[in-house]
Amino acid sequence: MLKSVGILLVAAIILFIEVPSLLEKKYKKELIVFSMLLAIGVGLGMAHSMGKSIPNPNDLLTFIFKPLHDALIR
Amino acid sequence: MMQNVKISSYQFLVLVILFTIGTSILILPSDLAENAKQDAWIAAIIGTGIGLLIIWLFTKIGFWFPKLTYVQVNELLFGKWIGKALSLLFVFATFLFTATLMYYSGTFLTLHVMPNTPMAATNTLLAIVLVMAVRLGLETIARSAEIFIAVFFLLFFLLVVSISPEVRIENIQPILEADIKSIAQSSLFLIVTSSVDAVCLLMIFPAFINQPKSAKKTFLIGNLIGGLVVIIITMLCILVLGADLTARQMYPSYGLAKKVNIGNFVTRIEATMVALWLICLFTKMVLYFYASIFGLGQILNLKDYRPLTYPLGLIVVILSLVIFPNVIYQQKFSTTTELYFSLTIGIFLPLLMVIVYAIRKKQLKKNPDHS
Repeated sequence: MLKSVGILLVAAIILFIEVPSLLEKKYKKELIVFSMLLAIGVGLGMAHSMGKSIPNPNDLLTFIFKPLHDALIR
Repeated sequence: MMQNVKISSYQFLVLVILFTIGTSILILPSDLAENAKQDAWIAAIIGTGIGLLIIWLFTKIGFWFPKLTYVQVNELLFGKWIGKALSLLFVFATFLFTATLMYYSGTFLTLHVMPNTPMAATNTLLAIVLVMAVRLGLETIARSAEIFIAVFFLLFFLLVVSISPEVRIENIQPILEADIKSIAQSSLFLIVTSSVDAVCLLMIFPAFINQPKSAKKTFLIGNLIGGLVVIIITMLCILVLGADLTARQMYPSYGLAKKVNIGNFVTRIEATMVALWLICLFTKMVLYFYASIFGLGQILNLKDYRPLTYPLGLIVVILSLVIFPNVIYQQKFSTTTELYFSLTIGIFLPLLMVIVYAIRKKQLKKNPDHS
């Protein structure tokens, strides 16, 4: 629980630092990308802090390259 | 989103040297000695030689369009959508490598330096510095690397001099016992970690360098100097520890620094090794992170890449905690899948670019950015 609160706190600090200057310069697209990435980050962080398993990109890579490896090393 | 950031070719040399040494200084001797045994240093020499060829290919690609970065060249060569998709793959790779290196530093620090600190804490601290560096821009990174390189070579010299009394020449004999296949297998690690992964440097070469012509030479020389450092470290590991111990340890160079003993007075100077490793690792990580963030900004046509740094820094910390469940997984991954992934990004993709460029040469020559 404490960890999730910490992550939300970090997200709040990031929002506080970044958003005012983006609004000031009217960078709309940057703001959208920024919010999406931050949402992904907070989501992953919450899931990890609650002990849920996060999909591991390395498992995907291993799945893709395993046939190649098996074909080469034989 | 082109910024008017320029670094000098000397600063680029420093970046290339630190990038080439990178993680190799601490963990590579073990990978090299695993197959090639006491001939690991021959594998290192061959690896550096082949690495130079790959760097030469990168400089060729860089000089097609001296004012554009790698991501923009991709888009120009393959068209809008395929180019963006390939660039996204490149960005994903560099981002994943950032997380991998952060995991390396986290495991090392929690294993050897600060055993009671959780990995999340060390990684967060590193990520804060990383985000800060990328926000301040390439010039700041290059200048800090200029300071680092002096510290690096001072400590490296100190280490080499103080370890030299422990050298046992018997450890390296018999020379050339390993067959060609195992030497080639070993040198592949060096080629991939120090030269093939240097594809991310194409994000700053030659677009952000003020003397592009001399930077070409600099790229090759930097790679060669970095390779020499790796060769020296590998040779010392074999000469002092012996092939068996080098292959069995996870951090052989760290064990090497522990062996230093000058008159029972100067002992246990392995903290110098930690400093060397963190300097190289940080520079390499910063360049990967910069490449991924700047690349993503260019793919999405953003006006400024800085807003992406904080969220991606957060994601990098979380990724670094989850990508490797344990060390065995990591060892297996980095000796199989990571090699193929790096080769796909760093060799297959550039060769594809060469083929497409050869086909579309006439059309591309009309482009105003062509050299």
